[in-house]
Amino acid sequence: MTSASPWKAWLYLVWLCLQRQARAHQLVWIALGLLALTTAVVGLNTLGGRWTMNHWRFPRGGGGTQLAVWVEGMGPLPGSAPALALQTALKGAARSILFQAGLSIFSNWVVFSVFLSFLLPIWSLSFATDAIGGEREARTLVWLLHQPLPRPGIYLAKYIAVLFYSLAFNLGGFALICLVGGRAGRPAFSLYWPGVVCATLAFSALFHLMGACFRRAAVVALVYSFFLETVLANMPGYMKRVSIGFYTRCMMFDEAQKFGIQPEKPYIYLPVGSLTAEWVLIGITALSLGIGMMVFSRSEYHDLN
Amino acid sequence: MEVSLLRYRPWRGKLHSPHKSVWTIARISLMMMFHRKIFWVMYSLGLFIFLMYFFGQYLLDWAETTTAETTISVGFIRTEPARFIEVLRNVLKFNGQPEMYRNFFWWQGSMVMIVLALAGSILVGNDFHFGSLPFYLSKPLGRWHYLGGKCLAVAVFVNLMTTIPAVILFLQVGFLKSWEYAVEGGYSLGSWTIAGEEWHLRLPNPLFFGILGYGLVLTVCLSLLLVATAGWLKRTVPMVMVWTTVFFFVRLLTAALVDGLQYHPRWRLFDMWNNTNLLGSALLQVNPYGPRPDWQPSVAEAAIVLGAVSVLCLTYLSHRIRAVEIVR
Amino acid sequence: MPDILESSDPRRGNRALIQAHDVAQTGKNDAIDAAHSVATLPSSLASRPAPATLLFDQVSKWYGPVIGLNEVSLELCPGITGLVGANGSGKTTLMRLAAGHLRPDLGNVRVLGHDSWTHAAKRYIGYCPDTDTFYEEMSGRQFVETMARLHGFSRLESRRRTETCLEMAGMAGRADRCIRGYSKGMRQRIKMAQALIHDPELIILDEPMSGIDPVGRQEFIQLFTQLARRGKCLLVSSHELQELEKLTDQIAVMARGRIAAVGTLAQIRDLLDNHPLSILVATDNPRSLAGALLHLPDVVGVELGEGENLIVRARNPRGFFRALTQLVLEESCEIRHLETLDDSAQAILGYLLGTRQA
Repeated sequence: MTSASPWKAWLYLVWLCLQRQARAHQLVWIALGLLALTTAVVGLNTLGGRWTMNHWRFPRGGGGTQLAVWVEGMGPLPGSAPALALQTALKGAARSILFQAGLSIFSNWVVFSVFLSFLLPIWSLSFATDAIGGEREARTLVWLLHQPLPRPGIYLAKYIAVLFYSLAFNLGGFALICLVGGRAGRPAFSLYWPGVVCATLAFSALFHLMGACFRRAAVVALVYSFFLETVLANMPGYMKRVSIGFYTRCMMFDEAQKFGIQPEKPYIYLPVGSLTAEWVLIGITALSLGIGMMVFSRSEYHDLN
Repeated sequence: MEVSLLRYRPWRGKLHSPHKSVWTIARISLMMMFHRKIFWVMYSLGLFIFLMYFFGQYLLDWAETTTAETTISVGFIRTEPARFIEVLRNVLKFNGQPEMYRNFFWWQGSMVMIVLALAGSILVGNDFHFGSLPFYLSKPLGRWHYLGGKCLAVAVFVNLMTTIPAVILFLQVGFLKSWEYAVEGGYSLGSWTIAGEEWHLRLPNPLFFGILGYGLVLTVCLSLLLVATAGWLKRTVPMVMVWTTVFFFVRLLTAALVDGLQYHPRWRLFDMWNNTNLLGSALLQVNPYGPRPDWQPSVAEAAIVLGAVSVLCLTYLSHRIRAVEIVR
Repeated sequence: MPDILESSDPRRGNRALIQAHDVAQTGKNDAIDAAHSVATLPSSLASRPAPATLLFDQVSKWYGPVIGLNEVSLELCPGITGLVGANGSGKTTLMRLAAGHLRPDLGNVRVLGHDSWTHAAKRYIGYCPDTDTFYEEMSGRQFVETMARLHGFSRLESRRRTETCLEMAGMAGRADRCIRGYSKGMRQRIKMAQALIHDPELIILDEPMSGIDPVGRQEFIQLFTQLARRGKCLLVSSHELQELEKLTDQIAVMARGRIAAVGTLAQIRDLLDNHPLSILVATDNPRSLAGALLHLPDVVGVELGEGENLIVRARNPRGFFRALTQLVLEESCEIRHLETLDDSAQAILGYLLGTRQA
């Protein structure tokens, strides 16, 4: 008799989960639509040269940046070496103001606001909660639970498939957004991509756990992402250290510190170091996965059929 | 035994008009939600903001009353604590002024959206996804009765989290300050002298009607938008994605465009929650062009956008609600 | 019919043999109380040639305050066992426990020695659930092949098994369409095919005939019979009692979360002392025969039916028929028709559940 291989079965399950996630057409198209919209908005702003302070309304913009542009574009002055050195220093300072202005604006309004507050959680949430939650809703989970595969293995296979798509959208989408962000966006990618990866791992694992625990996991994940994370982020003191978003921002602030990008009120925000934040996020990932495997292997799903 | 011998009494009642089915559908939908624990968990989270306002007002009043007779030293100046409390009350907008209600409605946005996402998925999405719609439409009622029932149910959830808590806050201010607050500025319907005493009859404070008006704007716009979204997408996760896109993503994007990149304020018209806030502020007679958030479109433009979106949703729903799916 | 059953054990017998152990006596319902006495089979039938494929050992299952299964003990060996009972009697709970989708709150459920909840047991279980949802975007062939791949078979082996099982289920020529467009009967056949894909020892079939046309039902009955003959243990739940009678005479009757009776239909019928067997006798001289029958000790009642019919109510059917044969010869009666009216599964079920009066 031809023997069945558990490893082949598990690997095929991973492949099947990848296929099935891709076939959730509506979900994928909406995610792509969000990416396309964000990329288009960022791209149009790049083409319009909006990543500077030149167009800012009086009294914020105007004089200071115009001066920096003029200084930066100035030709070499006749004169002695010390004067030239001084001019070079002034031009460097002006260039760095203009450069950092773009990076600062891009970071604050695209990365920290639009991407971190919405796109990253929603892309992670969509794929992670649909992995098990979608099967329960469609009543097809019975076909997986009936296979001779250990339940933790099924859970892990689903997570791997989720991670593929979450990373593809989060990291890939972030790369695309930064690429079309031009001069302001490209350094942002090299600074922030580790934070994006760690946050994706942690959010995906947490939302995957919610999918195993709750029938309407998407809604529970929404409460976490758009209520708890928002409320905790605005709390003074150490309460905010319960949220994944806090550690992600700490990683990003730590990298961007040398460019003067930091929390609005650091003495209230009390950020942690990048390494600490990274380990915490990895720890959250591992813990969520472990608990999820345990929960999934012990749960009786009464809505199988 | 023949049925005719069983002496059943025929039903002699009167058949109600199909319009009454609107409340029946709404009642069933409400029960479906009220039976779920997750709804109550989310509703209690949604009451956080309300409780903060409620107890905040009470705390400030209690502090003011307790420290009424005392004075404190600030540097070399002796002053009454009541003045600081008054300043705090005005800064935080815990003062019963229209801004307080406007801020309350604004901050309730997140949880209202999340509760409505759940409601949309359960009440409407399931009907389309699992095919319960033919059961409704096979009865002697039309698609508008079905739509009315679902919108009424959504309206209850919206008002449970916004209008009703705002009215409670309004009453609380009246109890804490004086009952004059409740009728201040209200139109006088007349006065009479009874047993030597003069009695005036006045309509409530226009602020009260402003609160109800704001609630009505939210009810109409959100219910139509939710039913249309749930009817289009049916399944929970895609519905949640689109719903959050409309209310969270667009808000962040328009804030980035207008506040961050200094675009024209008209770009905020894409933000539905902001549009309802503008219209609601006008009904509350608050200046909508206050310091935060900056640079707003006009109230008329916001109203036009809301109206257009509502009409679009109605048009879509009139085609979507049918007993038999047309497969192309 | 193609043979994929490579692991058939020649030591297994052809007949299913069921032994029910202790069933606690509770409840005031006469039908169930009467049936408790049938739960233990005579010792001559207790010996069995093969170890139990499915074993329920004092299993109880609660859904909150509601008890779904109440101290059920059951052993199934190779063969076909029908599972009957009213709605809400616990049939689906029992099947889900056997399939390893639920865990018992008390007791344990074993499949060939493995706890049914573990993934090791799933290798021996083929499950045909009553659910009607699939991966709708797949074709029937793709779906069955996917199930085979998930068992760990190679691609070639999966394809071979898929073709064999589709042919057994009668779907070989129609399996390339999307499942979304399938009728109920076609879906049922696909479920059957995927349940057989890994050649399991225990096959659990929840309403397998639902939606199948009469010709298809015959095919399924033949298939089940062949599987049983090859040493498989089939547990079939159905409301179609006449079809179940054609399939097997071994049934387990469930009521209110308990096994009310287990055994062959005849054995269960014999033990229903409170409900004498009703027999229709058509004769040329009914009154004379009626008078003679009343003298027989096993006869408890005779009723004159329409025309030349008599309805005789008798205990101890074997003894009665022997005595009837003797009487007919002595009296020289002409018996035109002889029929037992209530030894069908439906009648027995009715007596056991109290929904039928003698």
